[in-house]
Amino acid sequence: MSHWSEATQERAREIIARYPQKRSAVMPLLYLAMAEEGYLTNEGMEEVARWVDITPAQVQAVATFYTMYKRRPTGRYLVSCCTSISCMLLGGDDVLHAVEDESGVPHGETGADGLLSVEHVECIGACGGAPAVQVNYELIEGVTPDKARDLVRWLDTARPDVVNTDEMQELFGGVRSFDWAIREGEGAKGPYPAFQALGTVGREGET
Amino acid sequence: MPGPCQIAVSCRHVACTASGGLGVAMGEAGPEHVTITIDGVSHEVPAGALVIKAAQDRGTYIPRFCWHERMNPVGMCRMCLVEVQGPRGPMLVTACTNNVADGMVVDTRGPTVKKAQEAVLEFLLANHPLDCPVCDKGGECPLQDQAFSHGPGESRFVEIKRNFAKPIPISDLVLLDRERCILCARCTRFSDEISGDPLIEFKSRANVTEVNTFPDLPFSSYFSGNTIQICPVGALTSAQYRFRARPWDLQMVESSGMHDTAHPRLSVQVSQNEVLRLVGVDNDATNHGWLSDKDRFGFQYLTSEERLTMPLVRQDGQLVETTWAEALDRVAERIGLIRDEDGGEVFAVIGGGHGTNEDAYAISKFARVVLETNNVDARLDDALSSHFLAATADRGLIADIDGADTILLWGPDLKEEHPTLYLRVRRAAQELGVRLVVIHPRATGLDDRASMKLTYRPGGGFALLDEVADGKHPELRQALSADRVVAIVGQASFADGPQLAESVAAYVRNKAGSARILPLARRGNIFGALDMGLAPDLLPGRVAPDHAGRAALAESWGEPPAARGKDTRAMLEGIDSGEIRFLLLVGADPVRDVPDPRRALLAMDSAEYVVSIDLFLNDSNREADVVLPAAGFAEKDGTVTNLEGRVQKVNVIAPIPGQGRPDWAILDDLAERAGRPIGLANAESIAKEISEVAPAYTGITWDHLEWEARDGAVVPLSGSQPLSHIPVALKGDNAPTAPLLLHVGRTLYDDGVMLRHSPSLRPLARGAVVHLNPEDAKKAGAQDGHPVRVVTSHGEGEFSAILDEGTPEGVVYVPFNQPGGAPLGTDAVVRVTAVGR
Amino acid sequence: MTYPLVVTRRMTDHPADSHTLERYEATSGYEQARRALTMTRDELVEEIKTSGLLGRGGAAFSAGLKWSFLAPARPSYLVINGDESEPGTFKDRQLLERDPHQMLEGVIITAIANEVHHAFIYIRGEYPKPARRVQTAVDEAYARGYLGKGIFGSDYDLEVTVHLGAGAYICGEETALINSLEGLRGEPRLKPPYFPAAKGLYMQPTIVNNVETVSNLPHILAMGSEEFIEIGHPLDTGTFMISISGHVNKPGNYELPHGLTWRHLIYDIAGGVPGGREIKAIVPGGASAPWFIPEIHLEDQITKDVCAEAGSMLGSGAVIVMDETTCMVRAAERIVRFFAHESCGQCTPCREGTTWMEMILRRIEEGQGRAVDLDLLLDVSDGISVGLAWPPKMTTICPLGPSAVSPVLALRDYFRDEVDEHVKMAGCPLKKVEAHA
Repeated sequence: MSHWSEATQERAREIIARYPQKRSAVMPLLYLAMAEEGYLTNEGMEEVARWVDITPAQVQAVATFYTMYKRRPTGRYLVSCCTSISCMLLGGDDVLHAVEDESGVPHGETGADGLLSVEHVECIGACGGAPAVQVNYELIEGVTPDKARDLVRWLDTARPDVVNTDEMQELFGGVRSFDWAIREGEGAKGPYPAFQALGTVGREGET
Repeated sequence: MPGPCQIAVSCRHVACTASGGLGVAMGEAGPEHVTITIDGVSHEVPAGALVIKAAQDRGTYIPRFCWHERMNPVGMCRMCLVEVQGPRGPMLVTACTNNVADGMVVDTRGPTVKKAQEAVLEFLLANHPLDCPVCDKGGECPLQDQAFSHGPGESRFVEIKRNFAKPIPISDLVLLDRERCILCARCTRFSDEISGDPLIEFKSRANVTEVNTFPDLPFSSYFSGNTIQICPVGALTSAQYRFRARPWDLQMVESSGMHDTAHPRLSVQVSQNEVLRLVGVDNDATNHGWLSDKDRFGFQYLTSEERLTMPLVRQDGQLVETTWAEALDRVAERIGLIRDEDGGEVFAVIGGGHGTNEDAYAISKFARVVLETNNVDARLDDALSSHFLAATADRGLIADIDGADTILLWGPDLKEEHPTLYLRVRRAAQELGVRLVVIHPRATGLDDRASMKLTYRPGGGFALLDEVADGKHPELRQALSADRVVAIVGQASFADGPQLAESVAAYVRNKAGSARILPLARRGNIFGALDMGLAPDLLPGRVAPDHAGRAALAESWGEPPAARGKDTRAMLEGIDSGEIRFLLLVGADPVRDVPDPRRALLAMDSAEYVVSIDLFLNDSNREADVVLPAAGFAEKDGTVTNLEGRVQKVNVIAPIPGQGRPDWAILDDLAERAGRPIGLANAESIAKEISEVAPAYTGITWDHLEWEARDGAVVPLSGSQPLSHIPVALKGDNAPTAPLLLHVGRTLYDDGVMLRHSPSLRPLARGAVVHLNPEDAKKAGAQDGHPVRVVTSHGEGEFSAILDEGTPEGVVYVPFNQPGGAPLGTDAVVRVTAVGR
Repeated sequence: MTYPLVVTRRMTDHPADSHTLERYEATSGYEQARRALTMTRDELVEEIKTSGLLGRGGAAFSAGLKWSFLAPARPSYLVINGDESEPGTFKDRQLLERDPHQMLEGVIITAIANEVHHAFIYIRGEYPKPARRVQTAVDEAYARGYLGKGIFGSDYDLEVTVHLGAGAYICGEETALINSLEGLRGEPRLKPPYFPAAKGLYMQPTIVNNVETVSNLPHILAMGSEEFIEIGHPLDTGTFMISISGHVNKPGNYELPHGLTWRHLIYDIAGGVPGGREIKAIVPGGASAPWFIPEIHLEDQITKDVCAEAGSMLGSGAVIVMDETTCMVRAAERIVRFFAHESCGQCTPCREGTTWMEMILRRIEEGQGRAVDLDLLLDVSDGISVGLAWPPKMTTICPLGPSAVSPVLALRDYFRDEVDEHVKMAGCPLKKVEAHA
């Protein structure tokens, strides 16, 4: 007896079918659980346990190993500031402080209005475009503290339903790790990665 | 880490010294040996052994925390780092994950190794609270010991230590202190690999990794106590034992657990005359050191306030305390009177399955010599035939499970009724690649490891067996035609009756290349009791009471009675009908324990004279004429015999409360007073008498068990088996037909007298519940957790409904003998209706 | 100065649409996959072995040899390691995002060479855009019959599953990645016995290859191994992607032949150090690698062997340049913090040791350092990497813990004075550095 919507259940079945053994589907199903409720609840983990036939404790063991499964209520926009070595060398810590200061949300926490969560993260593979920030895992490279403040204000005022890496890069980004070449309209609908198999890909302007 | 590790298991193959089992066939030539050098000394060690084990067996102890001989190595704690000469110079490797190779040079104490070991210890202690003075583990703590022997001596960690709320209960029985935990994964591996209920797991990662349960989903495993025992620090502690004693205050003896018929080996630990805890003892033959929680924690009844401490006699309708002399003289007088009037056939003796072999022998001798009757039975109308249980041909050993091609399990849910065996079968299926076939009316604890699972409607077992024989289940047939098949057979459900198991065994014998049969029965020492003749058709030593059998016994006992005896059901019916005038109960509570309690209730109501030897007043002896206080587990020594025929020594370490006495002593005294002395001086001399009188027990003396056969000795020893029972295919009754059929099965925790008086386990019984398939529940209008009325022709009552996919449609499952649960008897036809509808 | 391009050729020539199937097919795409179907397994393995292609994930092991070690049991699996997470590394991101079909053709070739019928592409969770591009490419390939039942009209079946990680650097370690794919915690497995080639995914023989490695395969088959060898250094054939970041004017990915010097890379290719400042330290091969300093290493050639001789490694080709304004304690703390955060937690020395190291470094940086702290730090490091040598003598299952020791070696060898200054001044002597996050 699933608590998930029929569409999500159908997606879960499709995902499980992609693997030779169903336990392999734990990770994508955990994302589904997050997409369903906005973050990973105990009920979500129990649901995943039922789908792949393991105990909730086993699901929890996996879910708590990976940093992207958020087990506390997370803001509509998760702002992740990289402070690993390359970003740190070019002011990543200042960008983080700017985000914290502008939003009033210290890293590791979520604003009272539930709009923003701020975190500092380890390397997100954007060292050539340091310092880098992600919003709902959509990347912006070459961010300055001022641009970071702009970003926070924009999220607060524009409140896009879909955050898109290309759009944010144009608005708030600078130096990139490499030429991104073209602009696409795809982006994230919530604080979890936008990926086809998860049904989490939104289009710019979509509501 | 997932998956089996061949390396780890191959080096502990069970060497079996007993006759008959597949273990012998598997043994073949001994393992090959290779030569390795440990710290400059050359050693011959078994090929393929782990370095840590090979070194240990040759006298070099390599420190370790995560490695446990009975679990797959994970190499996580890194304490066992040693240096091995490799092609590119010396390499640091973990001794627990590397196998020996010929010519290997191992350094376990050089400077590099020492540095590594000291470092690991310092790391482990960095965040450790060092609260040894208030820790249960203090004094028997591997971390404490190794910090002492291998540690750097002081901590240079000046930072703030890790903090966790502590201790947190992770079940009713186990407490967790995450600050003490060193994350060796012994507990998590145990619950995953060994017991099969992974309810405790690692959580988070890096420096904040912890062991924990899922919120609101406790570590409610039947085997949780093992994690306390194998925890190398005081992270997991026993709610029952916590702060009760320090290791150096404990006295201990080795003994066997008596809650199931496998007889797991354990250590009984006592302080100030009180049993405080039981700890598993590693051995190849039975339990590998593991204990079920029932075996581990189910001893508190010994010190219950309600233990009987004085003989009780009925006076003016009340049981009143009296002296032994008064009580026994009364009984002796009554025995003489009745015997003179009606002879031996009006006596009945029920029980003896919970005591020692010495007790059982005394009961057997007492019944035949003093009461002149064969009306004696240690089974309580719920067991297979006595000859099949006592002397089936091709009887297997527990260790045969490891080397089988196929294990057929057609009987009760092992997890509920035979936990020791459950762990062995689980390991065989999971780690040793043995094909497991489970046949049972509903889900069982081994289904997840079964390569084939069949369910059938209660009472439909014979029909299924016929189908198999007719070739309707080719895969199963093929599995049973394998070379080495171990058939574990018992009564899966009351509706099946006792004969199905024997027919299954007969079928397997016929099909398999080589069959080994392990028949299942309840009550801890039932096999010992049967071996001592506690069945109407058995004499001591697995001898049939035919002319020859009686003649052989006549020399020592005098001629035993010739009349055919009654089994428990016939005795209960005989009491009711007045044929039986005198009932002796020895550790038996038929009202609670027989499948159809109506019979027992009627019998108890109409009995003329009842004498009970017991630890407690119970539903069967409350109205008895005389109740005599007995000795319990660890209060007497003796021998016991397990389901494979293994005789082991159990030992005394605690005093009997009040004036209680061992069964044999009571009966010897009573025989004397009844004018028919049976000459039993003490338990050891009884054992000697058994070895002389009971053919299968020739040579089994306490000396032999204590000094030569530490894992026990399996009877029959070669060539002396007097009775060989060839299992035969018997016809079953016609299967009942009705929309709903009742399956009554036992659960580990129930309302039995020992658990009822063990406060730690008493709350764990399931209570009055009925499992319904969701479809059936819908039809009955039943909701999860709501009351339903369950009615059979034998009984009825209100039960709380559990909606359960594991119970097939058309099957209604009710756990037997639960607190508050009405008895439903053996009739399979059942009706279920929602209450208040 | 230009160098021959292989894996970045298409995206350089056709920036606007290098990731599309149309462009890929218009530039000889999938021809080599078709050809591989006509070759025997031995021929394929031999060709790749001959080409000298080394794994580009960091370990630099011969790709062809790796294939030839695959145990005979079947099914066998292929896992593409796109869990690029080492600080300083971002090359796979570009290859996945800008030329996913190239990688996919490499997957098909590898699968054919190893009798694989189910391949997995594991992409780190923080790379949703590359993952979307790859998934689109996979979907297109299925639609065209390049994947699925009977690929390219042959009787060869190949399924490909794109798997998204969820934030764990350790999953870049191949056995941890396999555990992760099995739905377990991403903890590295023991070797022995769990060598992927014998007991990998689902305990079956498994090839784990890096994104860049397989991206090279179509080109090796197209140009032939001889030409491929000619592009690179004799001991390290072909090109390789260098990701350069930190204090350089033109950070980014550069596809280069082996054998250039660090000076050439930093000053000529990456545009030198901003403001003309001096280089203080170079991390040559990702955050795990022991550091170089310009005084000693600037003229060294960038090859696997030269790096190894100098006591470090080329790793995944991630170069981080730190200029004279950089506080070495802070930089070390940041790298150690990374490894402490990413420790899977199973081995005692890594779990406890890396966090301890981080705590000590932070204390020193924050002005609470003691004179004994550097020696303590070295001794703690010694407990993770006995003898503090390179390559490390590990007390751990995998190299993550010992990787955290690398920056500490730099403090010991080159920046001891700077550490002492921190202790003496009760804080960081470089005023420009602000309090960390």
